Amino acid sequence: MLLSDMQLHAIDAYRHRIPRDERLGMRTDVLVFASAGLLEQIRRDQALQQAVNVANLPGIVGPSLAMPDIHQGYGFPIGGVAATDYEHGVVSPGGVGFDINCGVRLVRTDLTAADVRPRLKQLVDQMFRDVPCGTGGSGFVPIGEKQLDDVLQQGVKWMVDHDYGERRDAEFAEAGGALEEADPDSVSPRAKQRGLPQLGTLGSGNHFLEVQWVDEIHDREAARVMGLETGRVVVLIHSGSRGLGHQVCTDYLARMNPAMKKYEIALPDRQLACVPIQSPEGQAYLGAMRAAANFAWANRQAILHFLRGAVRKVFGGQVRLDLIYDVAHNIAKREKYVVDGVKRAVLVHRKGATRAFPPGHREIPQEYRSTGQPVFIPGSMGTASWVLAGAEGAMQESFGSVCHGAGRLMSRTAVKKGRDARQVQKQLEERGILVRSETRDGIVEEAPEAYKDVDEVIEVVHNAGLARKVARLRPLGVIKG
Amino acid sequence: MFEILEHTADIGFRARGKTAAELFQNAALAMLTIAGDLSRVVPRQEYPLAAAGEDYESLLVNWLSEILYWTDGRRIAFGEFRISQIDPTRVSGVARGEPREPERHPARVIVKAVTYHQLKVVRTEEGWEAEVYLDI
Repeated sequence: MLLSDMQLHAIDAYRHRIPRDERLGMRTDVLVFASAGLLEQIRRDQALQQAVNVANLPGIVGPSLAMPDIHQGYGFPIGGVAATDYEHGVVSPGGVGFDINCGVRLVRTDLTAADVRPRLKQLVDQMFRDVPCGTGGSGFVPIGEKQLDDVLQQGVKWMVDHDYGERRDAEFAEAGGALEEADPDSVSPRAKQRGLPQLGTLGSGNHFLEVQWVDEIHDREAARVMGLETGRVVVLIHSGSRGLGHQVCTDYLARMNPAMKKYEIALPDRQLACVPIQSPEGQAYLGAMRAAANFAWANRQAILHFLRGAVRKVFGGQVRLDLIYDVAHNIAKREKYVVDGVKRAVLVHRKGATRAFPPGHREIPQEYRSTGQPVFIPGSMGTASWVLAGAEGAMQESFGSVCHGAGRLMSRTAVKKGRDARQVQKQLEERGILVRSETRDGIVEEAPEAYKDVDEVIEVVHNAGLARKVARLRPLGVIKG
Repeated sequence: MFEILEHTADIGFRARGKTAAELFQNAALAMLTIAGDLSRVVPRQEYPLAAAGEDYESLLVNWLSEILYWTDGRRIAFGEFRISQIDPTRVSGVARGEPREPERHPARVIVKAVTYHQLKVVRTEEGWEAEVYLDI
């Protein structure tokens, strides 16, 4: 059945449903959070077909969810959320993705845009020198194999204990910067070999480091709690688990494809490979995935450490850089939700989706209990990014999740037609935004036109009640991997 | 030898060969051409490579994943591949290249992984053809 024939019912201005259809193997509905305008863009690629395929997963609880930034991924759509029953459901590495715990952290400085603008070039160049992309050299956090196992178990805490951070950094990360029950022994020697020299590097693709300033406040109280006021300079860090996470996903996909026959699971896409959560293969993957997630948190912590050094070289040793929060957007976590009146333990797969817990939730730091968990949504290079706060609607409707970005609109090859890196860089410079990139194609592939309008994506999650707008951020300088 | 395929977030390629062995060699060159510049690699050392699979599709994913591991984990720049033995469950051969140096072997993009997304390995009138998408 073609996607164009698929029934897509509007529930209201921000919600659409594809009803369960057994002919497509669906075990549940697909719920799409999107406006009519975004839906038009979403239908251009295979993202909704992939959300339908996700609805085939054994043990799926509630609908297969599509966020407004959804676009075509591998197996799962990017911007997809699926919860599976923790006792009887499956775990799918494709529901986490190759970049396990790719995520973002936002850092508040005590500088203003007026302080930074006169020395922006110096700052961006210093950041480019001090925060490695990882395409060239390696070994920026010199550790051995034994220490790597400790990093895989302790995440941010290990980094802080070894002088790569400040005591409060671990507190201001999702899960305290380390998932419990991580199992370094389930991570292959190959994955460790890839990861070891890459700790403390950004990576390429859409990863970046962006200097931004607060240009609009939408929720005064939440902004005050997060220390944001108009003109304040912040830095957004976007990176993941590097080669270690990529290899973990590769290793377990290779293991799960044959194992699916044993568990008599058949799915429309091999990239959706999955096994029962409670099977030996499922448990081994989860142990390895958690270890890779902890590596990613340690990696973003190392990047923050290098960033602090760079900013202080330019603006003096007294400058403060405080972590506001750190959120994962490629991860699977055991959480509890009330579904059809019953509290159930589920494994929430977030593939290009961000956790967004509401005010009062026990798993967010005390400071944010009254406002809701901070959520950061990067827009495209040169446009805007958003700070949101989780809202109760996410608990009711989306397994505590919202979108993770603007969502791509154009392929990397399509965006390169008629554009070159120098031209994109110049256009951004004319708007006061400095860009540096280590890879030749990095700048042009991430040109602003390649993405959907982030403001429109944010309108949907705000109006659907999944998260509240807190502040909008504008870029000053960007380091691309 | 190969052409680029579009994907919203990432990139793919279509490779061809007269035989399965030639297809697998060309697929390896396609992936490394997307990632960097093959013309700058001096093929001065030999590296034996092998992979296993359940069928030609999974064999191709595992073969390319093996090369990616050597590129990213062992930091080797490859320039040539010569496959000596291939059947649907096993491929083996020799790659030629040298240890990677950041200045001489700059990355165009970091390839994270090889995916099963719309993966195809088919016989055609001229020989063999494959479509592969990479996560970048």
